[in-house]
This record gives sequence, structure tokens and C-alpha cells, in this order.
Amino acid sequence: MTHVLDTIPAAAPAGPPVARAARRPGAGLLLPLALLSPSLVFLALFTYWPVVEVLWDATHAVTRRGTRFVGLANFAALFADPTFQRALLNNALYALGTVVPSLVLALAFALALNGAGRVRAVMRAVFFLPVMIPLVAAAALFLFLFLPGIGLIDYHLARLGLPGANWLGDPDLALAAITVLTVWKNAGYYMLFILAGLQAIPDEAREAALLDGAGPWQRLRFVTLPGLRPTFAFVGVIALLNAVTQVDHVFVLTKGGPSDATKLLLFYIYEQAAERYDAGRAAAATVVTLGLLAVLTGLSLARGQGPEAAR
Amino acid sequence: MISWWKGAALALVAAAGLAAPRAALATDIELFFPVPVDGALARNMSGLIKEFNDSHPDIKATPVFTGSYDDTLLKTRAAIKAGKPPAAVIMSANFLTDLSIEREIAPMDDLIAKEGKTSEAFMGQFFPALLPNAVIDRKVYGVPFHNSTPLLYINADHFREAGLDPDTPPRNWAELYDAARKLTKREGDRTTRWGLMMPSNYDYGGWILEALTMSNGGQYYNRDYGGEVYYDTPTMLGALTFWSDLVHKAKVHPAGEQKGPAVTGAFLAGQASMMIISTGSLTFIRDTAKFPFKVAFVPMNVRQAVPIGGASLVQPTGLSPEKRAAGWTLIQWLTSAEKSGWWSRATGYFAPNKAAYDLAEMKAFLEKNPDAKIAVDQLANAQPWFATYRTVPVRKAIEDELQAVLSGKRQPKEALTAAQKAADALMRPYVEDTALRLPGAE
Repeated sequence: MTHVLDTIPAAAPAGPPVARAARRPGAGLLLPLALLSPSLVFLALFTYWPVVEVLWDATHAVTRRGTRFVGLANFAALFADPTFQRALLNNALYALGTVVPSLVLALAFALALNGAGRVRAVMRAVFFLPVMIPLVAAAALFLFLFLPGIGLIDYHLARLGLPGANWLGDPDLALAAITVLTVWKNAGYYMLFILAGLQAIPDEAREAALLDGAGPWQRLRFVTLPGLRPTFAFVGVIALLNAVTQVDHVFVLTKGGPSDATKLLLFYIYEQAAERYDAGRAAAATVVTLGLLAVLTGLSLARGQGPEAAR
Repeated sequence: MISWWKGAALALVAAAGLAAPRAALATDIELFFPVPVDGALARNMSGLIKEFNDSHPDIKATPVFTGSYDDTLLKTRAAIKAGKPPAAVIMSANFLTDLSIEREIAPMDDLIAKEGKTSEAFMGQFFPALLPNAVIDRKVYGVPFHNSTPLLYINADHFREAGLDPDTPPRNWAELYDAARKLTKREGDRTTRWGLMMPSNYDYGGWILEALTMSNGGQYYNRDYGGEVYYDTPTMLGALTFWSDLVHKAKVHPAGEQKGPAVTGAFLAGQASMMIISTGSLTFIRDTAKFPFKVAFVPMNVRQAVPIGGASLVQPTGLSPEKRAAGWTLIQWLTSAEKSGWWSRATGYFAPNKAAYDLAEMKAFLEKNPDAKIAVDQLANAQPWFATYRTVPVRKAIEDELQAVLSGKRQPKEALTAAQKAADALMRPYVEDTALRLPGAE
């Protein structure tokens, strides 16, 4: 401890830090490192070390006769597994089915509820309400809505004389049912970001468009949407992350079934690790999933910020 | 500095002085327990453990609710890995084989011997049908706590209305098929009442399919070796085709996966006239049904047979001797005739301890509730429950295919071929290490 304390009074009056660092490189690094060390320790413990461990797991096989290095064999087995292919496809459909509709809905809500007024404030709160319910609780709620025959949805369908459906038990419907729940849950959350984005669009641009005689559609198309571009890029990434990292409702409602119809990537990873004790394949699937996410996130942020940077 | 150290040291001594007599006073142990069926089981369990703690001042047991049977397995394994195994777990009886293969649970023969009993005499208190899922390689790995069998429940009002006699429920598949057709009601292309419903969600579906397969003369799995299942066999093909026909041909059973609560819910709402579910739901149905209902043995095709279900008390490996002894005291208390009988009356599970049925309260209870007696009588036909290496994924292999068949996505024969292939691949590491480990290979 003493030498760090010594450096502070010595370093403060001694001119620009760059010059000092050139003379004694070790001492210049010491203070920043010491100040960063608490967060570095936690990052190393809970972020970097697990990353190393996942990479190690992904390239090793634990069998009943011991652990050995297998190179990319876990990845080969992973891509050959029809259940993993199904999970990839399911997750792609689920991402598409949740991200696009919830963003469109969020934009519609935000445009309708932007501005002052008591009614708008109340409505904003109403649309935000589903966000405050934990996903597990929301899923438990939807369990009753989706119950075939006696659930709320089928009850009202029957009153209209329409046949109900086995919403969660039919492999053709289960993923769609989960998707609807997610859109309901998330649209209000994304609305908040878009409302904030709308505030950032300068009034001058809107006024200029009005003076030029632009109609509401043209104002939306040429002023509002371009202004929201960075917001959409950000919210899109958040929505994409949600589509991959939130599977609470799958646990509560379907457990990946029926017949793998709602098996998403994270649930697949959970099953490999916790039910089949195949740490190698679970780690390989984690690496693939995170790789895909990183690429998609990078692409979407680059697209969103491209024109911004050019301006 | 010195005074700080002194203060800390004094505080430490004081804390140790306070803690020491308490540690000697009571051993803290945890009991992991699942709630697999409907009803107020969690509340009943808390009451039971409170009673145990009051009568055993030297032990402080804490009940930890761990979800479904599958979740309980997962949480127990996580606790073992974390080095904090619970002193006792109420474990689904068909996981004991896998847990003993992996040496994650300890045999209890030495604890039984300490009481001056032989393992045979100790296990002799329980119904013989329960032993194959508790005694593995001649060692006692589990003490049966509550057990069940699938049971046919019928709505007596619906039976009378359809011109059927509720006092003679269907005994074989032909009668079941026939009754289900008569009981089903339709309005146009909408079915307003199903003749029969059976749950097909994970865990439940495999068990019901096992009941049908065994009623069809099948074995389902090799009960002496954890590396073999008999999915792709005529007995299971018959059972799966029967279920598929009820859905797709006769249209008396709804399509797709049906969850346990959806089945009981439909039965209680009068939207299903018959169901095959666990005896463990009997008390819940009796307390909730607003119409007269009757129960009967699961209808047979070739022979009268059902698998047992339910759970046994097990002890993980790696416990300290004190915790192990305290856990063992709890296990014996929970499985005694008196407590076993009380739990049985509270839940509908039958009491595994045979002596429970000699007690006066139980005799009076069965007198009043003849349906509970039918559940116990069916034990005469009971077979052990499917248990292999990696039981859960091996079971899911057939359940995924069952759900596909019930949804009309697959034909029974191709479904069984796929399930067999998937199950064989899952058990391969164990098989290679045992049955296919041959001299001269290495």
C-alpha cells in the first residue's frame, strides 16, 4: 500500500503524465491499475474466467473414463444434431416474430402517445404495465389463458361458436403462442425508448416539413423515421438479445415441447448441460450462440450509426 | 490497532461461545421435497416437518420446496456439486438407478444394520411392488415415501346420461374405446365433451404410455440393467397406436400434448368424461369435483398391469456422519406406518408402509372412501417404474415422439424407431462401459 500512496504526491506536480510514463512506465501504470483493480477482479472472476472455461469445455469431452481434448468434435456433433438445427430455426423464427411486431407496435404506441396530456400519460402507463410483470409471472398467467377448452381464450371462442385450439400442446401453434406472449410483454418497453428518441428529433425539421407542405405520411417517412434510426438500431439489438436470453416462459409453459416445437437455443443449452450432462456440447452451443449474437449486434449497430457518422 | 484486535478477538470468542452449545443442541438438516400433483401438498409438508422438529429437539429439519420431480433431481445434483448435499431428498423413484450408477446417493444398509435389522426385514415393511425401484444391486438406496399408480376416473353422471352403467367402468381397451365414443359430444365440428383424456406432457406422458404398454403385455425397459429400453416393440406399438387411434380415428381424445392440469381441469369442468391420471390426485379430485365420480383399474388389453409412480427418500453421498444420522432419523419417522398413513389420507397417494393399513384411522378412512381402496387394490397388478441410465432424456426421447404422434405429425411405427435410436444413443456411454466392455478389447 505504501508505495502507491507515495506515488500520488510525487506524480501530481511532476508535469504531464505522458512524459512521466515515458521515464518510468511501470509507475505510470500502477495507479490506474490500482484504481481499476476492484472492478477488474470482479470482471475477471465473473466474465473473463467463465469465457475461458466455456472455451475449454467446448474443446474437451468428459466421458466416464476421463476428460480429453477433442478439438472441434463437439462443434461437429452439435451441427449434426437435428435438435440443434431445430433450435436454431426456432430461435430465428422467434426472433423475427418477436422483434419486428414488437418494434412496429412500439412505434405505433409511441407516435400515438407522444406529447403532453393526462389521457396520454395514463395510456403510456397502461402500455408499460406488462413490462413490470416478471416474465415468469406473465407466463404463469398465460398458462391459464392458453388452457385448452377451459382457458380464457377458448372460453370466449366457444361463446362465439368457434372451436378452440390446444395452443401450447400443438407443435404448429406453440411457438406462435410463446411469440404472442413475448410481443405483449416487450412492446411497452421498446415504446419507452422510441418516445425518448422522438424527443430528440429537432422541432425545426418537423416545422420545415410542414411549411414545405408535407403530409403526415411524408413527415413520418422522411423526418421521423430517419431521426429514429439510431434508436431503432439500439432497440433492435436489445430486442434481439431478449429473443436469445429470455426463456423463462418456455420453462413455465412448454419446457421446449411439444416435440421440440418451442426449443430455443438457450433452452437447448440448458438441456444439454443440466439433463444430459454433456458440458462439451452445451459449451459449443454457447459459443455458437454468442458468436451469432455478436455478429448480428455488430451489423445492426454499424448500420444504425453509419449515416450518423457521415453527417 | 491493538485495541481493535482485542475487540475483534473478544467478539470472536463470544460468538464461538454462543454458537457452540447451539451446535451441540441441534443438527441442522435440509429436506428437499417436490410437489408433483395438484393440491395443497406444500402446506401439508411444512406441518409434518414442524411436528417432527417439535418431537425431536436435537434435530432442526428445514423443508425446501424444489418444484417438480425433474427439478428436484436437478437441484439435488446442483447441491451435491456445490458441496452442500441435503440430508434427505424425496426423489422420484425412477431416478434412483441413475443416481446409484453415478454414485450420487449412498446405500443405507449400514444405517439399517445399526438398528439391529437386516435390510430384507426393513424393506419387508413396504409393498413388494415398490422394491425394484428402491433396492438396486441388493443395496437399499431408497425408502418408499409416497407411491401411486395410474387410475381410471369416470364421471358417473355422464355415464348414466350416455346409457352406460357407472358401477361397471370399462375393464378392457374395447370397452374403453366404446365408452369413450358414447361419451363424446359434438356441436358441428366442435367437440364440447371428450370421452377420454390422458396427460402427455413431459414426465406424465411417459408414465401413462408405460401403463398402456404394460397393460398390453410389455416390459418397457430392462429392469435388471440400466442400459436398455424396449421402445421399438410390438407391445409399445400397440399401446401407441391405440392412443393415436383414440385421437385421430375415433376422435374421442383431444389432439396434441395435454398437460396434467389441463386434463384434471377438463374433467372437473365436465368437458371430459373419463381420464387416466395418478392416484396422487385422488384427494384433490374428491375435494373439488361437484359431481359423483368413480375410479377403476386401468383397462387392459393383454394383462392387468400398471407401473408404480411416486417417490422414495434418499440420502446423497458426502454427508457428515451427524447429518447422515439426523437425516436417517427423519427418513424413518416420515416412512413410519402412522405418518405414511396420514400423508396418504392427505394426498391420495397410497402409503407404501403395509402396516399403515392396519391402523384404525386408515380402516375408517377406507370405509368412508371406497375409491381410495381401489387405488390400493390395484397395487396387486403393479410393476416397477421405468428407470435407466440418464432417465430424464431417455424418457423425453419417447415423450417427444408421443407428442408428435398425438399431434398427427408422425405415424406410431416411425415414431418408435426414432425414439429407440435416440434412447440408444443416450445410453451408449454406459453400455460401452458395461455390457459392451469385453475382455481383450483394451
